[in-house]
Amino acid sequence: MAIIETFGLTKHFNSLVAVDEMDLSIDREIFGLLGPNGSGKTTTVKMLTTLLTPTAGEAKICGYSVATQPCEVRDRISYVPQDMAVDMKLTGRENVVFFAKLYGIPHPRETADEALAQMDLSSRADDLVKTYSGGMRRRLELSQALVHDPEVLFLDEPTIGLDVAGRRKIWEHIISLKNGGMTVFVTTHYMDEADHACDRVGIIDKGRIVALETPNALKSLHCHDIIAIRGEGEYHGTIVPDVTFIGKIGDELRFKAISGEDSGIPLLRALSDSGLKVQSVVIRQPTLDDVFLSLIGDQDETVAFDHHRFRTMLRRRA
Amino acid sequence: MRRTFTYTERDLRRWIRGRINVITSLVMPAAWLIFVGLALPIRFTDNYLDFITPGILVLTMLGASLQGGALLMFDKILGFLQKFLAMPAPRESILFGKILAITLRGLMQTTVILIFAIVLGAHLLDPVFIVQTYLILFIFGVLLSSLMTTVALGLEDHDSYAAFNSMIAMPLFFTSSALMPYDQMPGWLAFLAHLNPVSYAIDAIRDLQVGIIPVTTIGGLLIGAVCVLSMSVYVFRKATI
Repeated sequence: MAIIETFGLTKHFNSLVAVDEMDLSIDREIFGLLGPNGSGKTTTVKMLTTLLTPTAGEAKICGYSVATQPCEVRDRISYVPQDMAVDMKLTGRENVVFFAKLYGIPHPRETADEALAQMDLSSRADDLVKTYSGGMRRRLELSQALVHDPEVLFLDEPTIGLDVAGRRKIWEHIISLKNGGMTVFVTTHYMDEADHACDRVGIIDKGRIVALETPNALKSLHCHDIIAIRGEGEYHGTIVPDVTFIGKIGDELRFKAISGEDSGIPLLRALSDSGLKVQSVVIRQPTLDDVFLSLIGDQDETVAFDHHRFRTMLRRRA
Repeated sequence: MRRTFTYTERDLRRWIRGRINVITSLVMPAAWLIFVGLALPIRFTDNYLDFITPGILVLTMLGASLQGGALLMFDKILGFLQKFLAMPAPRESILFGKILAITLRGLMQTTVILIFAIVLGAHLLDPVFIVQTYLILFIFGVLLSSLMTTVALGLEDHDSYAAFNSMIAMPLFFTSSALMPYDQMPGWLAFLAHLNPVSYAIDAIRDLQVGIIPVTTIGGLLIGAVCVLSMSVYVFRKATI
């Protein structure tokens, strides 16, 4: 039995299908759920943490159903939403002791001290949280989440809004938690972080899982080599054998090719013939970013901002 | 029950650390006491201050409860509530914690108003009377804060909560027996005042002033509080975000 299992998990909001027939099996690993905004990441997490009732299907955490045994599920999980909710007017220690008491832990103070130490916050534990940096606040939330020693940790966009050093530190902590035997379910849209830290990633688009693999397998499965070209002029859909256009990021055109070395020159020639003035060419290994682009496409370029959908999302978050 | 106190402790700590809130919440009822209690040209009684003080005490509690719902609203907007709902602690302890925090806060405020009224010359020094008054204010606070916390859980954002709040605050106060006795009211107002839970609390305290134990009004308040509370517990257990 895996720690997290879902069978045909589905959630509708009126006519909007937020999560569509999701099947997952996650066990003692860092699982990253990646997807564009509005693809159903947060809705999935909310169903798994018993905050939303599924429309159809079933999800089990440690063998307990989220729909019919929510209390058993809540005993075994911790959930850190993306909003960074810590009490500014309380000290770091007060914040963690508060959670320890809510979880009904026998020695709340000692346990809180351990959790603070685990997140390297002991030296600042008695300062008011309003003096903490963003990264420290996030680590404080992790301390709160860890006081009852959960089996599963759900993190929704754990590094959003943090600087580079803050992000690296958060991931170091998440990885060491996994090494201690915890199952970590994380949503993010930072591809490089998922690539580096997650054992497996699921890519979700419009509520459906479109790919589920280890980052390396995903990269070799969906893209072989990436040819990135900068140039002046319009791209007219020119294509040569063994090369596929995957998208445009800024003024960079990205192609995937079975062999970058073999296809580079023909592609350049074809592009020049079509009137594009090529300024630079890079042939490189694919990143998760490329996989994402080739599976989901370039959201900003292809899909107009849907105001109604955006408001539905906001309302759901509130 | 321990969880309830933990939630209450958190809210009270946060409130007391924001010192300015503690002071501002006292200004309005104190102003009512002074400007209405001492200044209004009233003919139906010699000591209007004695008459109006129960009204102002209940007004203070009413204000505290109406504002108190915002505690849950902010927990919800800022993401705290999501964490709390995903915890194994019984969900109704979130509700009970809020009710207790709001009501205790209200009782602290009414204490200040009571001292103020006594300093200004109201005759309210009997300890038995004071204890009974606190009991009535507590039941009234539970009724109103339970209602407002549940309303806050259901409403979308703080703007709609503020709108709901201002919609019921003034009508509740002015259609109560706070400012004048029933025989001085126009017939339609007296009718409304007899239905208003705010009048129940005020009338109960006034009965105590003249030495009557107000069994029916306290009973009415209690029944109301139990009904609203059980409804709120049901809503909190089912809550999704």
